[in-house]
Amino acid sequence: MLMKSRLFEEIEESKERKGTKDDKKSELVGQGVGFERTRRITGYLVGTLDRFNNAKRAEERERVKHV
Amino acid sequence: MPADIIKRDGTLAPFDSVKILNAISKANKAVVGEEMSPTDLLYLTEKVSKALEERGLKHVEEIQDVVEEILIRFDYAKTAKAYILYRAEHTKIRNAESYLMDIYKKLTYAPAIKEDIKRENANIDGDTAMGTMLKYGSEGSKFFIDNYILPKDASAAHLNGDIHIHDKDFYMLTETCCQIDLIPLFKDGFSTGHGYLREPNSIESYSALACIAIQANQNEMHGGQSVPHFDYAMAGGVIKTYRKEYARAFTSVLRIAGGMEKSEAAARARAIMGSLAEGPRMGSIDAYGKSLWQAAPEEWRPLVTKAHAYAAEEALYYTDRRTYQAMEALIHNLNTMHSRAGAQVPFSSLNYGTDVSAEGQMVVKNLLQATKAGLGNGETSIFPVQIFKVKSGVNYNPGDPNYDLFKMAMEVSALRLFPNFSFMDAPFNVQYYREGDYNTEVAYMGCRTRVMGNIHDPSREVTCGRGNLSFTSINLPRLGLEAHNDLSRFFALLDERIDLVFRQLLHRFKIQSAKKVRNYPFLMGEGIWIDSRKLKLDDTIGEVLKHGTLTLGFIGLAETLKALVGKHHGESAEAQNLGLDIVRHMRQRCDEKSSETGLNFSLIATPAESLSGRFLALDKARYGSIPGITDREYYTNSFHVPVYYPIKAFKKIQLEAPYHALTNGGHISYVELDGDTCKNLEAFESIIRYMHDQGVGYGSVNHPLDRDPVCGYVGVINGRCPRCGRREGEGIPVEKLEKLRRQYPNTPRWD
Repeated sequence: MLMKSRLFEEIEESKERKGTKDDKKSELVGQGVGFERTRRITGYLVGTLDRFNNAKRAEERERVKHV
Repeated sequence: MPADIIKRDGTLAPFDSVKILNAISKANKAVVGEEMSPTDLLYLTEKVSKALEERGLKHVEEIQDVVEEILIRFDYAKTAKAYILYRAEHTKIRNAESYLMDIYKKLTYAPAIKEDIKRENANIDGDTAMGTMLKYGSEGSKFFIDNYILPKDASAAHLNGDIHIHDKDFYMLTETCCQIDLIPLFKDGFSTGHGYLREPNSIESYSALACIAIQANQNEMHGGQSVPHFDYAMAGGVIKTYRKEYARAFTSVLRIAGGMEKSEAAARARAIMGSLAEGPRMGSIDAYGKSLWQAAPEEWRPLVTKAHAYAAEEALYYTDRRTYQAMEALIHNLNTMHSRAGAQVPFSSLNYGTDVSAEGQMVVKNLLQATKAGLGNGETSIFPVQIFKVKSGVNYNPGDPNYDLFKMAMEVSALRLFPNFSFMDAPFNVQYYREGDYNTEVAYMGCRTRVMGNIHDPSREVTCGRGNLSFTSINLPRLGLEAHNDLSRFFALLDERIDLVFRQLLHRFKIQSAKKVRNYPFLMGEGIWIDSRKLKLDDTIGEVLKHGTLTLGFIGLAETLKALVGKHHGESAEAQNLGLDIVRHMRQRCDEKSSETGLNFSLIATPAESLSGRFLALDKARYGSIPGITDREYYTNSFHVPVYYPIKAFKKIQLEAPYHALTNGGHISYVELDGDTCKNLEAFESIIRYMHDQGVGYGSVNHPLDRDPVCGYVGVINGRCPRCGRREGEGIPVEKLEKLRRQYPNTPRWD
């Protein structure tokens, strides 16, 4: 009788893993994740508008393009 | 007498008549002409105790009422008055204390998203433990400064919003910012207080130590830190790296082609290369190869030729690669390393673009490339603030040695918002400029602060080792409103305010001057600040601080003009002329004060973050909502044309440029572009060139820069992400993300 080689086990395992991954395909990612909006204030950049104080949020909102 | 009393917090404490005696004595000593003898004091105390017992009074406030009553009954009117004042003063402080405790409660229990006070500075995370601890300290300190330190008029003017003393919480402690010269710091190494760092010997170490120096200095000051000549400062690291790579490759050829053992090859390479006084430089590598060939013994020459050819190629390739990795690491470090109790990223600024050496160019090229690539998931790095120094003859025109870097800088800025651009050719900057001497090139702090002129020592009008000491801003729109269309009244009020600010800046300077080198082990102890190397640990720093600037700022020129003449400077030429008169007047007052005191008083176009809302809120409460003046949530930044006002880019630059010449303490102008215009590099360049030609000192182009963290798209996102199609908060199928990853390998992983 042939000994079951470790190599076969690995192939089986990887098939299993793939299987679970296939199931995942229908899953959604990123639910509840917002967009990041980087803006410049006082010369510095800020990575997200959430950190702006109320006045600067208002100012950012009201900026118009100069074109 | 009563056995015990009821304190304000409701708890009981044993009655102690000595406390009453002391209070009466203190009040009595504060007045003249009513001197009490010890017997009088005892007698009055006895009367108070007796009255309390008879009436069964126990509460502290009741006890104080009785003290007042007894003093008046026995004809100590002045003492009674002093006692009442003393009581009122303490009530005020107690009220303020409960005010402070209310703030502490907000800081402790409310999330930052709800409480504006936790978002005063957008680069501090008010929700973290250390961010909150920093705010406790800051708010407690402000209370202390307001009640016990500041001159009464300055304190009142700050609280009611006539002026704003910036970084008031640091009033007793330190200065704003410094322009760090890394070159002398790296030579012979330095200490940050916890171990000694040897002189760095590779570009990786140079960039790592640059971050450490910025961090160490930031921890001793309340503002930001800038490196005024980053390319010059890093070039030394590139030279050392290049030489090591060259020697390694050269040795390899000797081993392989010359058939030598490792140690023999190394010794031989050292001997051959050591015969020349100077090591190889990438800008003159061919000449170096020739010299090497000439210096080598006849029989070695064929091998030297081979080794040189290989080494020159290898060294260039690996040095470039290592420089890129070093710059990539630097950007990651400066975005992630924390300072000030771990709550803040250091406010770092790097100025560069004028070093024409091959090594300096390599630094800038790789820094720009790393900036373009973004952080780990392609995010835009918000630090360091990068400032490209534009100079004709160096990088501004085709044919200039660094012109390609200027082009690249604009391309990166159009994508990542950085670098900003500073203009060495502006008349007020070029007057200091001497070719090839980085210390004469004006640098800017990221926020816009500028320090160059030096009335204290005109022979030291240099960039390095200097910075701003403190600054205080005037609420200009309020003066505009108070003047009631009377210009001479406006200028009279303005002069009054300026006088107050000057007095307050000098009050603070006196406190700063009394500090010692030991209070700043890095800034002063390691000789970062100009001339501090000459000082000993217990010397005071007042003399060397005189190289720094004491700065007057302002906010809301646009609203001020609205109040005075009904239009802002974007709307009418008359308003623009008046605006220039106002700012020119403030500058003139600073210049006069400088001559009078020998100190560097300068005028800054204030970078107002929390202030833009604070002044507005106070004025709205005072004057109501006045169209064009107090009807928004913020006052317009410094001399800017209001952000809401539609105006062409060129016109805006034209109107704002003259204010740059007047604000010697710092300035910045922005132009807002939409995403598409920004991708048009010609349009982008035409704006930067127009800034240059109009005499702007420091400017940048703003454009919307959004990112979808789910698929990693960077650009403008309106409703839907243009790459994965999701709306904010929506999920997308894993399958779709995997498909996108085949096209965009940097797509973030979610499993």
